[in-house]
Amino acid sequence: MFGCTTNNPAVRRYLVRFAVVIGFYMLFLVGTVWAFVHAHPTGWLAYLLAVMPALPIIASLVVVGIYLKEEKDELVRAMFVQSLLWAIGATLASTTVWGFLENFVHVPHMDLFLVFPMFCAFAGIFSPMVNARYK
Amino acid sequence: MKNRLRVLRAEREWSQADLAERLEVSRQSVNAIETGKYDPSLPLAFRLARLFETTIEGIFTEEC
Repeated sequence: MFGCTTNNPAVRRYLVRFAVVIGFYMLFLVGTVWAFVHAHPTGWLAYLLAVMPALPIIASLVVVGIYLKEEKDELVRAMFVQSLLWAIGATLASTTVWGFLENFVHVPHMDLFLVFPMFCAFAGIFSPMVNARYK
Repeated sequence: MKNRLRVLRAEREWSQADLAERLEVSRQSVNAIETGKYDPSLPLAFRLARLFETTIEGIFTEEC
């Protein structure tokens, strides 16, 4: 996503924080799946365990916010924001279309937890395209 | 916006990387500003003006 800017300290910190958050996501996801398969939690514990994998995902949004605050290079910041805006637009457009398709014709159901990875994938696709505009 | 960055840089024999280092921005930023693909913010324009000991109008001119 950052091309040749990895010697940028703000980017380095962002990548480290993002890796930590993704690590927690995987840990919480495995933990939640294990708990539901083996321990069959009920009541408030079930709700708590069910939302655990979402917490690092929410934290990743905070990590993005911290990066935008720390990034000193305004062009890099502008390109990053533009990539996110394109990704938000593409995610909203495709999930809305898919939602109506699910309502009116028979297409496979899309689980909502896939929306965030879809957004990340779109950001990854749009980032080099935005970057190329300023080369 | 049109700008005289390339000329000002050449007068001082600075490469884009040299200018980027002095401004604490990426070389891509310097190149994008120089080629008119990106218009800098007012604070960055002031930093450029200070660095080249001129005014913002001495570097940037409005494209008509």
